Amino acid sequence: MLIKVPSVANLGLETIKVDVEINLASRGLPGFEIVGLPDKAVGESTERVRTAISSCGIDFPAKKITVNLAPADVPKEGSLYDLPIAVGILSSVLEFAVPEKSLFLGELSFDGSLRHTKGAFLMALFAKEFGFEKLFVPKDSANEAATIKGIKVFPIENLTQLSGFLLKRKNIEPVVYKESQNLVAPPAEFDMKEVLGQEQAKRAIEIAAAGGHNIIMVGSPGSGKTMLARALPGILPPLNEIESLEVTKIYSAAGGIPPGGSLITNRQFRAPHHTASLAGLIGGGSKPQPGEVSLAHRGVLFLDEFNEFPRSIMEAMRQPLEDGYLTISRSKQRVMYPADFMLVASANPCPCGYLNHPKKNCICNQNQIRKYQKRVSGPILDRIDLHIQIMPVDTNEFSDNQKNSEFLESSKAIKQRVVLAREKQSERFKTEIIHSNSQMKNTHIKKYCKLAKDVEQILRQAAIKFQLSARSYMKMIKVARTIADLDNAEEIAISHMAEALQYRPKTYESA
Amino acid sequence: MAQVVEITDKKYPELLKKIGSIAPQKLYYKGNFCDEIFENCLAVVGSRRLTSYGRRATEQLITEIAAAGVTIVSGFMFGGDEAAHSAAVKAGGKTIAVMPCGINIIHPEYQAELYNEILETGGLIISEYEGNFLPQTWSFVQRDRIVAGLSKAVLVTEASLNSGSLITAGYAKKFGRKVFSLPGQIFSEVSKGTIKLIKEGAEVVTEARDILSFYKVLRSGVIPGLTRNPGFVKKTLDSRFRGNDNNLGSLEGKIIDWLKREPMEADAIARALCVPAAKLGMTLSLMQLKGIINQESGKYYVD
Repeated sequence: MLIKVPSVANLGLETIKVDVEINLASRGLPGFEIVGLPDKAVGESTERVRTAISSCGIDFPAKKITVNLAPADVPKEGSLYDLPIAVGILSSVLEFAVPEKSLFLGELSFDGSLRHTKGAFLMALFAKEFGFEKLFVPKDSANEAATIKGIKVFPIENLTQLSGFLLKRKNIEPVVYKESQNLVAPPAEFDMKEVLGQEQAKRAIEIAAAGGHNIIMVGSPGSGKTMLARALPGILPPLNEIESLEVTKIYSAAGGIPPGGSLITNRQFRAPHHTASLAGLIGGGSKPQPGEVSLAHRGVLFLDEFNEFPRSIMEAMRQPLEDGYLTISRSKQRVMYPADFMLVASANPCPCGYLNHPKKNCICNQNQIRKYQKRVSGPILDRIDLHIQIMPVDTNEFSDNQKNSEFLESSKAIKQRVVLAREKQSERFKTEIIHSNSQMKNTHIKKYCKLAKDVEQILRQAAIKFQLSARSYMKMIKVARTIADLDNAEEIAISHMAEALQYRPKTYESA
Repeated sequence: MAQVVEITDKKYPELLKKIGSIAPQKLYYKGNFCDEIFENCLAVVGSRRLTSYGRRATEQLITEIAAAGVTIVSGFMFGGDEAAHSAAVKAGGKTIAVMPCGINIIHPEYQAELYNEILETGGLIISEYEGNFLPQTWSFVQRDRIVAGLSKAVLVTEASLNSGSLITAGYAKKFGRKVFSLPGQIFSEVSKGTIKLIKEGAEVVTEARDILSFYKVLRSGVIPGLTRNPGFVKKTLDSRFRGNDNNLGSLEGKIIDWLKREPMEADAIARALCVPAAKLGMTLSLMQLKGIINQESGKYYVD
């Protein structure tokens, strides 16, 4: 007896249909085998399915069972085939028809219940595109799949409930999409008003958030670099609908959506440690998984102690920084992951960290400092628009008013300006493929950032005086454009350009 | 292409010969070895960890002293030595670099550009070591005696208490040469050595005149080509902004008042004057373009 149950395979962010073909042969010794390039997790499915079915009080058929995952030449991985295989066997034992235009996905527990399984969102997208109407997924993953409209998503708790439904004895209500609670913008760790002093750095962070610019902060330990970076999510605008789908896709593929979770609507803040591996950061593995750069898509990638990151990782970040995506090539497959993130880097000025510190003495010599600073790759620094130096803050120097956070601007107030500036950019780039000032290429700059004569003159003089490279010259225009947007101005004025020059690349010379 | 001078040669510098038995027997050299270059030598030594203050002071003093015709002698190390050599080269003056290594080696290697500039501007590189001899801990100290020996006086810009610069000053005293010392802040680690020298009787230097009067080569007046503020930038910017925004002018004035007292970072200025960072940043950039203020290691100062 041959049964076909449709399911899917996720290769990176792409989804293909997989037919789970189950043959129960009466001839031959009883057995249970899976073919069609299964990985270890798929292979072990036999034990889970057998035990789960028995746990539900159903006799496991004593036949020679062979499962084929077609197409047979695509490697299959993960635990999502437990459910389709079990459904196939149950349909033979309990004699029901496998529903048409349906897809099955889910991992089984020994007791017959279903566990949260990654990839439900990707399957729902696939179902919508190829005309499948019903999805059978674990209850915990149902909310994730239900975000796509026009598809019935049945939340399955266990095999008994499912077989009751398929035998038309019981009813299961399809899930209606509701915004899940656990993923709605967790508050940023710090509010901007909690950060004392650092007026210039705060302003730079605001500009970075408004234009999606990459930013690097250099300063001594304890000067507040990490705190500033952690306050950043609080001033970022929410994701729009398309961005939200993009990010959710990546998280669904990586299994990053928690049980019961659904669409990701807030910008992600990723802060990998500098000991992270290349595959972990950039993505990879024999079956390429998205890395931190992709998980930070449309969000923030915070690299603390930037100089400590290995050179190979820094260089590998050049493609995503330039193109907003990266391609991971393996002999068996090639996967493209989007990775359009805002890079926030922080670094110490020297090995001991106290170069230019007002109170402590730096114990490094110039040679050590040179070597230390050279560890940051030049091409990467070249792709960072805003460069700021952070000085430690002595709270004793503050007046009571300045210490009182009520007088400082809150993240909420800053966020409003950022959102307005982003709206101006969406309006400006509505006919372009880019969406923020930071992504402008030279042609865009020529088109959207016409400089008045006097503004251009200032920039030219600055280029000579501060020895700006051609690339830095362009960066200054981009940053000035964002400052003008924050100011709600149509034209870039001298004041905008002059402020932008504050954030030019600097060398952090000897103390 | 390195050449050699023996102690018995006529060309051998008089002053160096006077240090007696420890005078080097041979001097290997590259560049312009002549009597004039050894006539008025000032040794300028300073910490490897020169502060921005030390660098500014060195540049200001040495520019004038070197332009007046005094040869600047130093040890080619990074930090204080390098600042002195560079300032001399930029001022169009002459400078002698005494190497702690063989004459064919440039140490530190990354200062090769400065090395070539010294030779191109008629300066001199000397060493008592031949060929490819690598620098040793002791050779740095040995080198110091030549630096002091060649010079009528030694200027110590910045030095910590166990610094090599103090060794050079020690040699100078031993040889009966004058010691000048640049005063610094009492909290600074690299001012402790210079302050110690002052206590022991070194002469305090606050302007180039202090040293030039010792050499009796005081040339008064402005040195051509060394005007600080690029006038053209100032002119174009001034006319444009003062007309547009009156507040800007007064803010600039306030900033200058504060910066005259001590160099400050942008955030401190923002707090002191209660101006938003955006407006302050803009003003600081423009002032910097006009050449009114300058920035080093995060702090602004009035030029």
